[in-house]
Amino acid sequence: MKAHLLLLVSAIIAAVLFPASRIGAQDWVHTGTNLGNARIRLGAADFKPAAADPQTPTLKATFDATLYSDLETAGIFDMVSKSMAPQAAPGSPQEINLPQWAAAPANAEMVAFGALKADNGRLVVYGWLDDTRNAANPQVLAKQYNEAATQDMARTVAHRFADEIILRLGGGINGIAETKIYFVSTRSGSKEIWAMDYDGQNQHQITHLGSISLSPRISPDNSRIAFASLGKEGWAIRMYSLDLGRLVSFPGGSAGGSNLSPAWSADGTKIAFSSGRTGDPEIWVADAGGGNLRKLTSFRGPDVSPTWNPRTNAQIAWVSGRTGLPQIYIMDQDGANIQRMTDGGYAISPSWHPNGQFLTFSWNRKYGPGAPGGQDIYVMDIASKRWMQLTHDSGSCDFPSWSPDGRHIVFERTIGRRSQIWAMLADGTQQQQLTKGGENFMPNWSWK
Amino acid sequence: MSNLLEHDENLERQLAGEPVAAPATGSLLLHLALAGAIVSYYIAGGFFKSNLWGGATSGGAIRVNLVSSAIPLPSDQPPNQNVLATEKPSPAPAPPTPKAAPKIDEQAIPIQGKHEQPKPQVAPRTPQKNPQPQQNNRAQYGEQAANNLPRSTTPQTSANGPVSVANGDFGTRFGWYVQIIKRKVDQNWNRQEVDHRTPIGAVATIYFKVDRSGIPSNFRIDRSSGSPTLDNSCLRAAQRVDTFGPLPPESNDRWLDVTYDCSNAPR
Repeated sequence: MKAHLLLLVSAIIAAVLFPASRIGAQDWVHTGTNLGNARIRLGAADFKPAAADPQTPTLKATFDATLYSDLETAGIFDMVSKSMAPQAAPGSPQEINLPQWAAAPANAEMVAFGALKADNGRLVVYGWLDDTRNAANPQVLAKQYNEAATQDMARTVAHRFADEIILRLGGGINGIAETKIYFVSTRSGSKEIWAMDYDGQNQHQITHLGSISLSPRISPDNSRIAFASLGKEGWAIRMYSLDLGRLVSFPGGSAGGSNLSPAWSADGTKIAFSSGRTGDPEIWVADAGGGNLRKLTSFRGPDVSPTWNPRTNAQIAWVSGRTGLPQIYIMDQDGANIQRMTDGGYAISPSWHPNGQFLTFSWNRKYGPGAPGGQDIYVMDIASKRWMQLTHDSGSCDFPSWSPDGRHIVFERTIGRRSQIWAMLADGTQQQQLTKGGENFMPNWSWK
Repeated sequence: MSNLLEHDENLERQLAGEPVAAPATGSLLLHLALAGAIVSYYIAGGFFKSNLWGGATSGGAIRVNLVSSAIPLPSDQPPNQNVLATEKPSPAPAPPTPKAAPKIDEQAIPIQGKHEQPKPQVAPRTPQKNPQPQQNNRAQYGEQAANNLPRSTTPQTSANGPVSVANGDFGTRFGWYVQIIKRKVDQNWNRQEVDHRTPIGAVATIYFKVDRSGIPSNFRIDRSSGSPTLDNSCLRAAQRVDTFGPLPPESNDRWLDVTYDCSNAPR
């Protein structure tokens, strides 16, 4: 009996000493198979300040944050979190401890690092990219930049270095860190054309017409913006020269009826737009100077929102209401070989992928009162007509536009009657809001 | 008397001519004979051909010291175009004066909406990690500074010289580029195209060539997996790739031969 009591007491002591969490421990592992390619694990070390100039710390903070954000947004890297990176800031290939970066917790395959200094009003940046698994020849990239020591230039240099890394590791596709997004904003009181950097920084107004301007489209050489604007003759296609800083003539865009939704061809020589000059909105094509007009479509029902195939420059996708609700169609640039892409619902605002393989558009698949779902962004493979939904149940999404690298989409999202510009990766992940003030619509990503 | 006699003898000797004719004739004959002998030797020697170059005899061979293994190439410095004879010609023109920074007029009212396009800044080239040795086998021509002249007579120290052979080590030097090839082809491989009757583990091997700009070409099936659908899906995956990005500038390869395995994994 005494022995039994002793056993019971020792069992109670054991239970107190080794708490239940140990027995009921739970862990969560998320894994899978055939999930596609693992992204490159990339570490971005904080750059080493190489001079004691008082400007250096602020420029370095801007540079580090911009570089990390650019690489993270690129969509091809699995970034090493700053808290897991080795603490030392290596300033040169001699100082970096590659085995330390390759080991846990960083587990980096590649490391971007370097040194930065502000010196006599100049910002000097040395940047390297090293392969941690190649001890003999680790260096992949070495760059040096020398610019004016301003916050803007610190961001620009970070953009350029990020673009170099993305070009090297992304398989020959140029980075987009120096691209711009053009959009419509009500911040000045009327709907004017605005521009911003691809990450939402540096937002500024372009036009000051005091009217209503819609659907800006930047030319492939970044020199002109075509847009639709309400004037004395109704809706007209107008042309704004960024080089001259004023409107330039586009005579073909203002003849009677509504002229809307311009679209540049990829060589910058032609503009397609929708015009109601014959009574019914049809797709027209004009030269970039506004002459030599041709009508491509002639069906009953509205035809609007053309977009060129940037790869071949020989096809146009557009929205047609010839069967009732608007649907996406494609045709050759002479109006032949018309093919319907969407099978129903309410499909608008097509944008053609830079390599010609995909269309992105806004689609409400079950359109009608009480129907489930809403207006969302979709991507369709043109050859197979298979589609993928990118946004789900988060406001009404419209006006998608491809980035020049084909990995990102910028779009307009309306939540509770307030529209803002958002960007995401082309698989629907990494969604981020770019604009905050006022209402912002109809984004268009520049070509380069 | 005796004096007279001696006088007469002397006079007689002086008046009489010296006997030069006989020795002169002899000398002339001897020279003619010598000349004739030389001429007849060469005439006779022409009939008897002989090759006595070097041969087994000692001292016949010429000793050659190798100066440079490579053929002299044109100089890397351009020939001097100066028409004036100069004592010390300049090998290169004077560096251009640096451009003055554009003056910003602080009083001017900025034009609304006008933005100056930033000029693209060319980053200065940093030295390569694996610098390629300079070849010192350039020939000299034109009027150049004298310190260039001894270059062509620098003796070679070892048999191979300073050139390191770098063929076949692309995979170890540029592993990251190989990863890009693997990643991009895999991204474009549409596994639905493979017939479901294809055995698990079947491997199709394709070949393609990647040029310096990173564009693949010359696609063909290197080793068939036995399943035409697997072979073709693998080939199409590589064909869908537009570019892998330019080859690393440090690499000397003009193109890259790639063989790529597509293995049929369970779905």
